[in-house]
Amino acid sequence: MATGRTWQHERRLGYLFVLPATLMLVAVLIFPAFITLKVSVTPEGGSGWNLTLIHYQNAFRDPVLLRTFKNTFAFVAWSLVGHFVLGLGLALALNQALPGQTFFRLIALVPWTIPDVVAGIIFRWVLNPIFGCLNPLLHAIFPGFPAEFQWLSSPTLAFPSVIFANVWRGYPLVMVMLLAGLMAIPRELYEAAEVDGAGRVKRFLHVTLPGLSTIILIALALDMVWEFRRFALVLAMTGGGPGTLTEVLSTLVYKSYFQFFTFEYASAMAILMSVVLFVLSLPYIVLVGREQ
Amino acid sequence: MRHKRTLWTELTIVAIAVTFLAFVAAPAGAQVKIRFQTWHWGEKPVVNALEAYQQEFNRANPGIEIVRDESRYADKESVYIAQSQAKVAADIAHFLHRAIPLLADRGYIMDLTPFIEKEGGQKFLAQWDQAALEVCKYKGKIYCINDYVNPLALLYNTVHYKEAGLDPNKPPTNWTEFLDYAKKLTRAGRYGMGLIGARQEGLFMRLNPWFWGAGADYLTPDLKRSALDTPEALEGFRWYVELFTKHKVVPPGVIEQGAQEVRTQMALEKVSMNVAVIQAPLIIQAINPNMKVNEVMAAAPIPAGKKRVTSVEYGMRVISAYTKNPEEAWKVYKGWISKDVQLRNFKIYGVISARLDVKSSPDIANHKFAKVYAAQAPYGKIEPLVPEWPKIGDAMITAVQEAFSGVKTPEQALKDAHIATNRALGVQ
Repeated sequence: MATGRTWQHERRLGYLFVLPATLMLVAVLIFPAFITLKVSVTPEGGSGWNLTLIHYQNAFRDPVLLRTFKNTFAFVAWSLVGHFVLGLGLALALNQALPGQTFFRLIALVPWTIPDVVAGIIFRWVLNPIFGCLNPLLHAIFPGFPAEFQWLSSPTLAFPSVIFANVWRGYPLVMVMLLAGLMAIPRELYEAAEVDGAGRVKRFLHVTLPGLSTIILIALALDMVWEFRRFALVLAMTGGGPGTLTEVLSTLVYKSYFQFFTFEYASAMAILMSVVLFVLSLPYIVLVGREQ
Repeated sequence: MRHKRTLWTELTIVAIAVTFLAFVAAPAGAQVKIRFQTWHWGEKPVVNALEAYQQEFNRANPGIEIVRDESRYADKESVYIAQSQAKVAADIAHFLHRAIPLLADRGYIMDLTPFIEKEGGQKFLAQWDQAALEVCKYKGKIYCINDYVNPLALLYNTVHYKEAGLDPNKPPTNWTEFLDYAKKLTRAGRYGMGLIGARQEGLFMRLNPWFWGAGADYLTPDLKRSALDTPEALEGFRWYVELFTKHKVVPPGVIEQGAQEVRTQMALEKVSMNVAVIQAPLIIQAINPNMKVNEVMAAAPIPAGKKRVTSVEYGMRVISAYTKNPEEAWKVYKGWISKDVQLRNFKIYGVISARLDVKSSPDIANHKFAKVYAAQAPYGKIEPLVPEWPKIGDAMITAVQEAFSGVKTPEQALKDAHIATNRALGVQ
């Protein structure tokens, strides 16, 4: 009896402990999400409970939104590739016992410490055809390179330029996770493989990659979710231009809500974006669930 | 345990006492705080004018305190709307004419008619430029009284003119002359003209004089449909775009250039001409203190096309519909638009007041730049004041950028903007 009472008391105490966090979650996440959902099914300029799906219907017919979805997927995919290649390469390099290892690890982390909007402004100025520093540098190395080359104003180079800036800004997250994974792989496995005659490539393919597989999946899943929401960097660098060539979902939702003041349509787009994000993050959720 | 309880009891008593004393010790005539919102609080020299008024008003009105409330130019409307939805908007806020229909339609700003009636109604309003006042009127109500009028003019570098063999006292008066000047000025790593192509309001201000100058308009006279499918619209649009794409008198990277970037290009002598606001000489001077702006720069009317027209921007303050202190807010408002304050504002940051007595004062009539700018006001025109303007404007910026970058031909870009404009207006 006494044990049962203690158990019940502990259970209540447990609920009490999670209550502040739960209330916080409700206040900052569930309530706004509910409001956004409600606004998305409210007629334009309307209120109350007279609901409609017209904004979702409009969204599925909106060529700008469809194009922006394509842009966003391309932006996320290329960013992920860049983050992975650069992150893995640097993680492998920084995992070597070299002099100044800690210093280089810190340096490699610097882009991660720079806020999105600042990174956007930095790259906008670096790539500026007149006052930027990239053109003079390239011109000095390759004298035939145009001194006032246009990067962000070019329809073919604007998007790759934004992706390049995003790769630079975001690779440290993947790098840190992979570095942690590399450090956790037992040295003995490499020694055993070496004794068996495995070369560098074989050791990488048969020891390193399998040892990192879970971390790689988690890192890329997390990165994908974050890159899908990337906003300030794009806004600061191009504002979605030239035209709508670099428009991504988050900038479109922002524009629709805060510049066009079409709250209902913007909310519908935000909900659609959340659904896609949820689907994309399913592998991560499943993986974490399995781990637990 | 007992000791701990005593300590907690003592602390609680002290806390209650302190709170009680704080209330009791508050000044008998508690001050009404009026939040005065503008993006200029952190911007010299405008902030000097704001602080001068704040200090002067607070000293003269012990019961009211003007409190600074900072907004940002880029998202002033969205932040104000969010604040209004939460009913915590600043008592007085600074906007440009485009915001009035947006805010009035949502009921976020106060109709000032009752205050104006108390001040003498039409006689009181007669002190202001009537064309400017029109933008404050919406659906039969008056939501503001203009603060300043900001027409655009052609700002040019006289030294560059001389170097290119042009007479600085004879600026271009029509499009043909202008193009000829721009081509001659495009030399030695310099460009004849600075243009805005970035996604910002400033783009319209610079595009409009040419667009309207060709006889074009954004909408039909009844404001119900797009008028971007006219030959005049294409002519004005092409003219602006081809300065960059065909005539190459504009620096590269035009899509990245906002108003401030173009002013920087002018300050660093990369461009020789710019369609600019009256504050531009002061800003250019601040960017390049070595340039003797008053000697080097000169202003002239924007070269005329089929019509002589320029962009004008009207700045105004509005009072929040949710202010708890409307009378005090009006007192602050009235003080800010008074003759003395407006004249001082001109002296501090060179902006032209919409007050007729200030606009015609000797200070403006004798000022090198102000007299040119003030003379442009009668030719000033604004974009259509419709709530759909943000969408229409965005479609137009998209078209300009697409044509600048060669993604589309000017014809196709404008055609798409026409379709988008009609869609925004709900035209099937």
